[in-house]
Amino acid sequence: MSGKASSSQPSIGLGGSGALSHVYIQYPPLHCSIPGLRGLHYDDGNRLLISSTSDQIFSWKTVPFDPLVTPTCDSVSEGPILRIRFSLDAKLIAVQRSSTEIEFYNRETKETFFQRCRSESENILGFFWTDCPLCDIVIVKTSGLDLFAYNSVSKSLDLVETRKSNVSWYVYTHESRLVLLASGMQCRTFTGFQLSSAGMIRLPKFEMAMAKPEVNSKPVLDAEDVYIVTVYGRIYCLQVDRVAMLLHSYRFYRDAVVQQGSLPIYSSKIAVSVVDNVLLVHQVNAKVVILYDIFADSRVPVSAPLPLLLRGFPRSYSSSRFRESENSEVNNTGESVIYGDNWTFLVPDLICDISNKRSWKIHLDLEAISASSSEVPSVLEFLQRRKLETYKAKQLCLGIVRTVILERRPVSVVARAIDVLVTSYSHSIKTGSYFKGLKNEKTSPSNVPNVNSPVSSTDVSTSRIDGLGKSIRHESAAGIDNESLNRSSTFSASESEDISSFEPKTNSNDLQLGGCKADRASLSGADSANEVHRSSLKYQLPGSSDSSINANIAEQQDSQLTSPAISPDEMYRFVFASVEEEMVGDPSYLVSIIVEFLRSANLEKIKIHPSLYVLTVQLLSRYERYAELGLFIINKILEPSKEVALQLLESGRQSIQTRKLGLDMLRQLSLHQDYVLLLVQDGYYREALRYAWKHKVTTVRPSLFLEATFASNDSQHLAAVLRFFSDFIPDFHNTADFNSYYRVLNEMKSSIAA
Amino acid sequence: MGLASISTASEGIQFCIFDLRRGQNEGQELDKILFFFPADLPFSTQLSVIGLSEGLITFTRIFSPEAACEVIEAERHSHVFYEAEADIWMVMVVEKSKEAEAIWRIEDLRKVLKEVHSLFVMFYGPVRAMLEKEPNGGLIRSHLYPFIMDYLSAYQKRSPWDNCCWDFLVGKKLQLPSFRDCLKERGNVQMLTVGREAAIEVQSLVRILESCVGNTQCYSLILFQDLLVSTTLSPVDTINLFTYAVQRLTPHALSSGASSWSYLRRASTSSHAGSGSTLAHSGSVSEQIYHSSDFSPSGDNNNHVTRPLQHGKWSKGNDGFLVTDIWGVDAGSSMIASPTVWLQQTEERMYLCTYQYKGLTLILLMPVSSILNGEQGVSVVKQQVLENASLKILKVEEKLSKGWGGENAYHVGGYRYLLVDGDRNISRASPPGKVTTLTKESLLAMSKLREEVDLEKGRAKWDNAGLEKDLEVCIRAKNNAWVIARITRGKELYMVLEKANETLLYASDAFEKFSSRYCNGAFSLD
Repeated sequence: MSGKASSSQPSIGLGGSGALSHVYIQYPPLHCSIPGLRGLHYDDGNRLLISSTSDQIFSWKTVPFDPLVTPTCDSVSEGPILRIRFSLDAKLIAVQRSSTEIEFYNRETKETFFQRCRSESENILGFFWTDCPLCDIVIVKTSGLDLFAYNSVSKSLDLVETRKSNVSWYVYTHESRLVLLASGMQCRTFTGFQLSSAGMIRLPKFEMAMAKPEVNSKPVLDAEDVYIVTVYGRIYCLQVDRVAMLLHSYRFYRDAVVQQGSLPIYSSKIAVSVVDNVLLVHQVNAKVVILYDIFADSRVPVSAPLPLLLRGFPRSYSSSRFRESENSEVNNTGESVIYGDNWTFLVPDLICDISNKRSWKIHLDLEAISASSSEVPSVLEFLQRRKLETYKAKQLCLGIVRTVILERRPVSVVARAIDVLVTSYSHSIKTGSYFKGLKNEKTSPSNVPNVNSPVSSTDVSTSRIDGLGKSIRHESAAGIDNESLNRSSTFSASESEDISSFEPKTNSNDLQLGGCKADRASLSGADSANEVHRSSLKYQLPGSSDSSINANIAEQQDSQLTSPAISPDEMYRFVFASVEEEMVGDPSYLVSIIVEFLRSANLEKIKIHPSLYVLTVQLLSRYERYAELGLFIINKILEPSKEVALQLLESGRQSIQTRKLGLDMLRQLSLHQDYVLLLVQDGYYREALRYAWKHKVTTVRPSLFLEATFASNDSQHLAAVLRFFSDFIPDFHNTADFNSYYRVLNEMKSSIAA
Repeated sequence: MGLASISTASEGIQFCIFDLRRGQNEGQELDKILFFFPADLPFSTQLSVIGLSEGLITFTRIFSPEAACEVIEAERHSHVFYEAEADIWMVMVVEKSKEAEAIWRIEDLRKVLKEVHSLFVMFYGPVRAMLEKEPNGGLIRSHLYPFIMDYLSAYQKRSPWDNCCWDFLVGKKLQLPSFRDCLKERGNVQMLTVGREAAIEVQSLVRILESCVGNTQCYSLILFQDLLVSTTLSPVDTINLFTYAVQRLTPHALSSGASSWSYLRRASTSSHAGSGSTLAHSGSVSEQIYHSSDFSPSGDNNNHVTRPLQHGKWSKGNDGFLVTDIWGVDAGSSMIASPTVWLQQTEERMYLCTYQYKGLTLILLMPVSSILNGEQGVSVVKQQVLENASLKILKVEEKLSKGWGGENAYHVGGYRYLLVDGDRNISRASPPGKVTTLTKESLLAMSKLREEVDLEKGRAKWDNAGLEKDLEVCIRAKNNAWVIARITRGKELYMVLEKANETLLYASDAFEKFSSRYCNGAFSLD
């Protein structure tokens, strides 16, 4: 462990670390360390960390996450900064100065203007930029929502629409495009709007469940206890019930909000992250994190609660030690304590250590997770659903399958494992993500998957930071250009996000609940935005990935794959061919596995590469199971191909029946020339000649036929064959072949006569 | 009375098995005889039949040491020879009758000899091995006699739609395969044609089935109705087990039960039960003869002779496995003993475990030597099969029965055909019900043609070892039917086209069409 830690850049792709954990943060963090900075804000629309000095704001891109990223700087006027967000095209900066006033900066023209509340009775709770076609910015006030469009001519905001509602507080994440407005005495009555590129959707009003500590007391729900979570393209809301010690979950549909059950919590302080569609519930007081994969609406944790690990900390003492002992030395050196009080969790997967002005990105340790379960099919399903570390997930899947085969686990177990992989591949083919990955391989070496991860933050988290934060300034950065691209192509992005590759299953769930269609539509809106975001960065970032020191080999390979799906060809190369080398003895077990694979692939209508068939022929004939081989060929379990035919001919050296199967296959594939050649080779020159005549095979040299006939030592046949060629090949009389065999024929005749 | 009836029953046919290595000294000639039918013939007659056969064999060996005589055609009899094992000969002497029905193909008769021997070996191992075990010959005789009598008497109809009789003992006579069976080939398996998906499911089932035994090498055979779906056995063992399964184990074989076990052709006699008892009686009388004769074994062996061809002995148990008491009771566990067979390929004795679900019959063979605790071990395997394979069996049965075209599935309108793949020991023919619609003339012509082809094949085998000969014969029969035979590289196709156009071109076209549509063009060389 310490050995690992001492190397300054332990590769994520290799080995993991010895400590037991499923989730880790990687040293070094992103330092927002510029002297004089005040406060830290997070703009989830652009995924920027923002901090300010008295007249400047600095912004750090967190996507892709690069600890050495240089901040961009913009000038603003002095004054308090409650909230700060860049417009989605990054041309404007909006700074909330007070509860009634927002100041806007145009980054190009340096012009500014103010937007103020009209009446004194209402306060601005917050605001966010949106890619909804109706408007550009939404201001949330105690009296409801105001939707404004930016008028670039008049350099002001035009009010588009107002939605009246009493609002105590609100939560919003850009990745879900969903704003939830809390109202009522207990703040547990919610009105929701989704403002996506598809338009604005009003969700039905709903109430959250809250247990009562005593009969008459009514606890008030706090904004910090509500999280909007986006996993697998679905939107959930998680709500902490401190009395019941439960985390309630609700799923949003266009016309319904459905409670989905509750997760137990073991800490009074809870935080929620989403990494690669895996829900992480940080039990902050207990200093452990529990993972849930709520793909199949299962509320069973992926694995046991384990601590969060700091990896790659360049000290001789281990991070686990320093996690346990809240060591003064650690604090002195400026390192943060795991789950320290000053940690803020930014949606979806960032941790911000406000006092030390640094942030970490949370990673899953897929290796550790897959090693912690012996349920092979479910581990494979989990890995196949991963989108971030696709290369590693894929390698792990291949390794697992190889292992279960080499361990000769029961065929049924291996069959289920193979089913998982084949089904997943089939899905990825249908949704195109598999081929997309292949395309990316050529076009983009950038860290696409990082971008791919949902874009977001909540105003909740922002507001938490707010108390500490002050203002900033910035210059143009890559992200800004991205946004313009993003914005312009939002509607043309018809390709649905990879996430939706698993949608059909969830869809059937949705149907029962009634509101599915809408949900799906709204999601695809959000998804397509993600998609565009990603593709725009693809063009943007080829250079920048070089500067990323975190980009080790595994990550770069990740970046080339958008799906961990395993193609039949890869199954052959990395599973069957490789285990075949290691397995000794009777091949019937491996044949069984191949049969299961073929069955699975056939159900999904997936094409199999002939090399697997060739391998099967080799296995069966090596142990002389020719009867079975015959059945496999006749029933076309091994589909006909030239490769298979040639292997049958090769294996048929010991078994004439098998050789004939190969010949028949050549004939059925209309590989006339090969067929004729083999017939001649076997001494069936007359049959070959007839066949060649019938199928107009002219490429086989007459001399081959003549040689074979001569070998049979039958002068009549030789005469007939000679005659055949003389009749049907012009000028055959003048060839050397004719002359020599004519002479031979005469000699044969005279010898008979003599 | 019994003796009288037997003597008439055996009229016209003699069937014997003898060992050339035995009884070479004067006075010990009887020692040669391992089996003789009819058993009640005086020994002098038996010896004269065997003596003649032996003489012929010795004589022909002078010219052809590797393959002595195959057949002797005398004026009134045909002698069909088959050397089952080295120096162990089976000879069948059949009387040439003036009756038209008694026209047969010698090769078909030889196949009967071959079949009975193969089946015997499957249950008891080679004859020679048993002789070596007990040199006085009592053991082998006490096994051969009931076995062959069961075979001859109870040769069951092949399939439900089979109107042609495979019965050998009809009324008082042994009914041999005749020209009416010319579109059949004994000693082959008939396969079900399945699609790729079903085939994969079947293979998947095979693997699961065989994995139920553990890590031991075992084998399986799967039949649907009376057709083979899958085998992992060697060809020769497959044929034997398939033949046995179709006679005794398939749903049809089980359901036809005692009533149609009759060896009697219904049309030919009304005294069904009476004749049955006659045979049973004859059996007992013969056994008495064997017992009383001086080369009878010590006696107690006889009590333990299993008779696997006995009819009506198999039934389906509640758990879906087929049970029989043929093999007696296991001494250790006092359970009914599991059947065992001896595989030629591995020379190993195997437990025979048969499971049936609707039309599907699954036969699992596992080595006796590697099943611990005998019967208990077998029931553990059965339990495993039920636990692991049940679902798959259901699925496969459903798939196969969905894709099955019924008894006339392989009928091709206008054609009466027999297709034989000699390399794979597979044959397929027009359904018997359709073959019977042919006129006698056509059948006789085809039988004759096949006789010629058999000769030609035999000649080619010796002339030209290694290379297979192509052959094509097209005959216009007296009744204006086309009778066609073609052999191409180990595959044979015979067909009869009645009411067909008179031109040869028509016949050849019809043949070509059949070949390309049903044989993947295997016969379309030019």
